[in-house]
Amino acid sequence: MKDHTVKRILGFFLLIFAVVVYVAIDSVRNINRDMTGSDWVNHTHEVILDVNGALSDIRSADAAVLSYVVAGDARSKAECKEIFADLDEQLGVARDDTRHEAIQHEEIVQLIGLCNARVDFDRSVLAARQSNDLQTVRSLLASDAGVEATHEIQRLVAKVTSEEMELLAERDHTSYDQGQTTRVTVWSGVALDFVLFAGVGWVIWSDIVARRRAAAALQEANEQLENRVRERTAELASANEKLRSENLERRWANQTLEHQLHYNQLIINSISDLVFVLTKSMNISRINPAVVHLVGREPPDLINQPLSSVVRLDMDRSGGAALLVDPLSQALAEGRDLRDLPAIVEDKMGRKTPVTLTIFPLRDRDKVVGGIVILQIAPKTS
Amino acid sequence: MNAPTKKHILIVDDEANIRELLEEFLTQNGYRVTPAQSAIEAHKVARTDPPNLIISDLQLEDSDGLDMIKSLKETLPNTPMMLLTGVLFDPKVVRDTLSKKVSCYLDKTASLSQILAEVQRLLPN
Repeated sequence: MKDHTVKRILGFFLLIFAVVVYVAIDSVRNINRDMTGSDWVNHTHEVILDVNGALSDIRSADAAVLSYVVAGDARSKAECKEIFADLDEQLGVARDDTRHEAIQHEEIVQLIGLCNARVDFDRSVLAARQSNDLQTVRSLLASDAGVEATHEIQRLVAKVTSEEMELLAERDHTSYDQGQTTRVTVWSGVALDFVLFAGVGWVIWSDIVARRRAAAALQEANEQLENRVRERTAELASANEKLRSENLERRWANQTLEHQLHYNQLIINSISDLVFVLTKSMNISRINPAVVHLVGREPPDLINQPLSSVVRLDMDRSGGAALLVDPLSQALAEGRDLRDLPAIVEDKMGRKTPVTLTIFPLRDRDKVVGGIVILQIAPKTS
Repeated sequence: MNAPTKKHILIVDDEANIRELLEEFLTQNGYRVTPAQSAIEAHKVARTDPPNLIISDLQLEDSDGLDMIKSLKETLPNTPMMLLTGVLFDPKVVRDTLSKKVSCYLDKTASLSQILAEVQRLLPN
């Protein structure tokens, strides 16, 4: 896989990881908000219950005080104490629950003041009744603006309850919005991750396609190269074969030519008569060993020498007078043979040997290019 | 599948260079070649490993090529014989005399390709 493909894939996975981390962090934060909101809702409900409970306690306390005043039953007094304790606890809880909400806290403090004032009044009545000071009891009850005080507490409780309910409704709306935001964030993250995974798939697919294309191109190039190598090898083999054949032909031609020359040489050398090969100018161009043997001169001394330096016609034996024209040259010039002419060969020491001379024109196609002279040693006459 | 058996050629020549060149050339062209330098050796080969073609020189160390061919014909009557010699014969002699004694006559001035053509003519596939 190519380096840039790996980098792209790593980049995509980093983005996917970042999206997942973002979604996770955002979700956890929203969950924490929900949990905090849930606690706040519980506390708010508790505040509502507490303030309404306080109102109920105030009414119950008023009833119990009146009952104690009328009947003097100690149970009514004990009931009042329990109600006062419960009232104190509920208002304390409400005060603590609203400590982070300045307005509500202020109202709860105000409510506590009103309730404490009412409790103080009730306790004064209870104390006067317990001491059987009915005059005092009578004057306290006469001066009591109980209904008004209770109504004020009731209004304040209703106000607090109403405000808390509004806050609950507002918090509920906020919670709903947060839930929607979380859903949108999660689904967006999931969708984005799918898109990114699709991007990774596209990168891998592109790389595979590119690799396949490259492999195909490489294979095609290799095949072309192999074809060229095969063609070139065949050409070289053919050229080599041709060269070998030509070399063999050349060696064969040289060998057969050498053989032919050797064979021709053998023929001439095997003749015991003296053989001279002449140029058209009657100079010696070749001799056989019989000439060397009789004349006593080596070939270098004879080659290119005139035939007359070794052989001359014997005019005495032929019975003719000296001729004006050399008959041998004339025979060659005319392209005819002369046979069995008497002649004399003179060797290196000046010794003379009578011979019979025959001359043949040497023809190359129809053209006389020289002559062949054959000398036979004449038999000695007694 | 076995390769087709190579045709066997017996070369009789007293010159080693000629024998070697012909052997190399004919082997290169797909024939199995046995060289012999004398008539006696040629007879021995003809008996032990009969050739499909005999190529002989005219002048041998121990015999005349034509005499050897004549005697070999008794042993191998259907084997073609080629006379390959440096002795140049007159065409009329070749036509009237040699052609009756040998299947083919070539002088040694013939090229190797000419020799091969004659061999292929005498030993068709």
